Amino acid sequence: MTPDMFFLLASVLFSIGLVGLVSRRNLFVLYMSLELMLSAVNLLLATFSKVLGDASGSVIALLIIAVIAAEAALFLAMIIHLYRTHRTVDSDSFNKLRERV
Amino acid sequence: MLSLIVILPFLSAFLMALVYLNNTKKKRYFFYSLVGVGTPALSTVLSFMVGIELLNGSDTIHHTLFQWIHIGDFNIEVAFMADRLTVVMISFITLIGTLIHIYAAGYMKDDDTYGKFFSYFNLFMGSMLLLVLADNPIMMFTGWELVGLSSYLLIGFYHKQSSNITAANKAFILNRVGDFGFIIALSLLFVSLEGTGFTFESIKTNITMINPEMLSLIGILLFVGAMGKSAQIPLYVWLPDAMAGPTPVSALIHAATMVTAGVYMVSRYSFLYVEIPDIGLFIATIGAASALFAAIIASYQSDIKKILAYSTMSQLGYMFIAVGLGAYSSGIFHVFTHAFFKALLFMGAGAVIISLHHEQNIFKMGGLKKDLKLVYITMLIATLAISGIPPFAGFFSKDAILVTAFASEHYVLWGMGSLTAVLTAFYMFRLLFSVFHAKGKKIHTLQSIPKLMTYPLVFLAFGSTTAGFLGVNGSYGGNAWINTFLALPDLELHIAHSTEYMLGGLNVLLALTGIGLAYKIFAKEAKEVKADRLFQKVVLNKFYIDEIYVFFILKPLLTLSDFIAKVIEPKIFDGFINFNVWGYRRSALFFAKLQNGKVRYYALYILMGVSAMSCYLIFKLGVM
Amino acid sequence: MLEISIFTILALFILGGSIVMIINRQTLFSAFGFLVAMIGLAGMFALLDSRFLALAQIMVSVGAVVVLSMLTILTINAKPENLPLESNKYKWILFSTILVLPITLLIYRSTTALYQSFSTMEPISSKIVGKLLFSNWVLPFEIVSILLLTAMVGAIVIARNNNTKIDHPETEENA
Repeated sequence: MTPDMFFLLASVLFSIGLVGLVSRRNLFVLYMSLELMLSAVNLLLATFSKVLGDASGSVIALLIIAVIAAEAALFLAMIIHLYRTHRTVDSDSFNKLRERV
Repeated sequence: MLSLIVILPFLSAFLMALVYLNNTKKKRYFFYSLVGVGTPALSTVLSFMVGIELLNGSDTIHHTLFQWIHIGDFNIEVAFMADRLTVVMISFITLIGTLIHIYAAGYMKDDDTYGKFFSYFNLFMGSMLLLVLADNPIMMFTGWELVGLSSYLLIGFYHKQSSNITAANKAFILNRVGDFGFIIALSLLFVSLEGTGFTFESIKTNITMINPEMLSLIGILLFVGAMGKSAQIPLYVWLPDAMAGPTPVSALIHAATMVTAGVYMVSRYSFLYVEIPDIGLFIATIGAASALFAAIIASYQSDIKKILAYSTMSQLGYMFIAVGLGAYSSGIFHVFTHAFFKALLFMGAGAVIISLHHEQNIFKMGGLKKDLKLVYITMLIATLAISGIPPFAGFFSKDAILVTAFASEHYVLWGMGSLTAVLTAFYMFRLLFSVFHAKGKKIHTLQSIPKLMTYPLVFLAFGSTTAGFLGVNGSYGGNAWINTFLALPDLELHIAHSTEYMLGGLNVLLALTGIGLAYKIFAKEAKEVKADRLFQKVVLNKFYIDEIYVFFILKPLLTLSDFIAKVIEPKIFDGFINFNVWGYRRSALFFAKLQNGKVRYYALYILMGVSAMSCYLIFKLGVM
Repeated sequence: MLEISIFTILALFILGGSIVMIINRQTLFSAFGFLVAMIGLAGMFALLDSRFLALAQIMVSVGAVVVLSMLTILTINAKPENLPLESNKYKWILFSTILVLPITLLIYRSTTALYQSFSTMEPISSKIVGKLLFSNWVLPFEIVSILLLTAMVGAIVIARNNNTKIDHPETEENA
């Protein structure tokens, strides 16, 4: 059992998150893709913590889990707010930044 | 003391300008006269004091006012230097300048812009003195440009008339052509000296380090500057037009200041021209051509001031023959004597013009001998002097130049000079006879001439008679005092006394011929020249030089400007710019589409960038 | 051998769950995929001998985050016709997958390169983690607690039903 497999898994997981973030329009899916990417990093940290024999990695991963939680709270609150004002969870409809000629 | 000579006129010009601008309506005749005439007089006294100091043995006087520019080796000081050449120049510039100022106080008495006039006048004096007293070429150039500026202001003094403005512009622009040559020459000189100092004295010591070709180029370019200021072929056309200014201005330009600057400059760089005799010969040739050319035109002019203008150009030609052939002292000597009689001639002409209510055509005058007795006598003296009749001043200086030309075996130049001498006598006496002797065309009611205008005439008549004795050379029993005093690097000439007598006699004879010719044609009744023959027509129209300039320089330039303005500028440059603008706008519209406000597109752009960077890291740098 | 098979099964769970998550149109199904992936990750932590982390993952990610997400989804209860249409979703996914591939490769290669010198593998106990957390890492720990508090306050503020519409100009624009 080598850490290579963990690394590969983490990379692929991160990439799937990235693909989801870029290609989907549903705000929930965007949020979950972000969480997935964070978790992939967490996996990497845990793996390194293990192979280096240094618990610091685990500590950082723990802190990141806390960040995930905080993010979840905020993100979900924002989704609710946006849904209330716009009646939609489509990210493409929030395009106030578009150029107007 | 040295710097005061220059600073005083500038200060008074400034002061008068302030007072004038404070209240342009108020006359303040006494104040302007006192300051305007007093300052040049003070400068004259100071100049003579400097002269006495030099006579008592000291060689050069230096005075550094302050450091102007100091960058590395480049060090320009606002400094003044008076050597013997300078002293001769400043003495007569200030003396004759003062006399012209006194004259102008009478001439301009009733003018509303009296204060402005004297402010400009003092500025002119100051600029010329700055030019002459400069210690380094940069200072000289400053003075040179200021002279150009003040001449512009004064030629266009009667600015209500548009032709005067044109004349002023013409003078200024043609001088710019000359200045262009001058400043390039200075730059070349500076570069080729490789930072060994840029004052006249250090240039003089280091002149040998420049190779002859470069030196020739510098010499020619410097002379181009002199051509502009001293009205030589081909840059002379401004001089006749410069008559648009008041008569005292003409007197000042022609006698004491501006036009002598070119001769002075060549003499100042005599150490340079000594190294390149070929260029000197070129200068002499241009001078001789200008002398003859101007004399021919002068013989057919009918405007009293234009005749005098062309005669100035002709006399300047003599001076350039002298300095070109290496007889710098003779050239400066002729500048010196010429200043007296030319100032006198202009002042006399001005007096005549004033008394005839601004009539300038000599053929509409006549028979003024009795009415303007003093003016007549003084003008006669000046005319004799310019014609080269001994013992008046012009004889000695002109003779010295012609002897130089003969002795250095440039017989063509000598011949041209002699022919010019005949013509000079002819056209000057033509003027004199037409104005004073010939029957009056109509009964004039003469306007009285202010006393202030006549005193300088008397003084200058005295000067025109005696100034020549300063330079009487060996063969006439003198010791050529001015040549010894100037101590310029003159050409050594060996010529038998008998030959010199013969040449002198010939000159007198030629002058008398001219006078006789003029007497025969004009003494009884002066008739205006009719342009019935081709030659006369050509000469009367001043050889169509102005027209040639218009046709060959002005027209092509205008056509080119037109072409550029109408075709190149709107089509090519504007087209190019408009094309660019169009391109930017199109690409902006294209790129603006990318900014659609949708976050996932932005995420995609970021992803594209990161992906490209990853590809670069993996495949190009081979991470791992 | 057992570990490898456990790893394989967990990896399949994680990858399958995440792919389901990003592909499915129905939000709740996506959330289920996410849940599976999170549980799988907790297993992975356990496999890496970080039992404390695995517990935290279960408690926070699965127990709090995912459940909270599902609750939100159910609260909103967006009808299928209210969901974005996403007709060319698969084109996007394909395109971004191609773009993502070099990044994946880079991450993988970098991490394996880091591992080159690592050989020791020893268990990390919760005791060590706890000691570190309250000694060397105490400041980040406290900051995280403040962050969580702030997030809580922020979430309440944002999600609060706001009757005054002045603060939300986009409402008027869309209406």
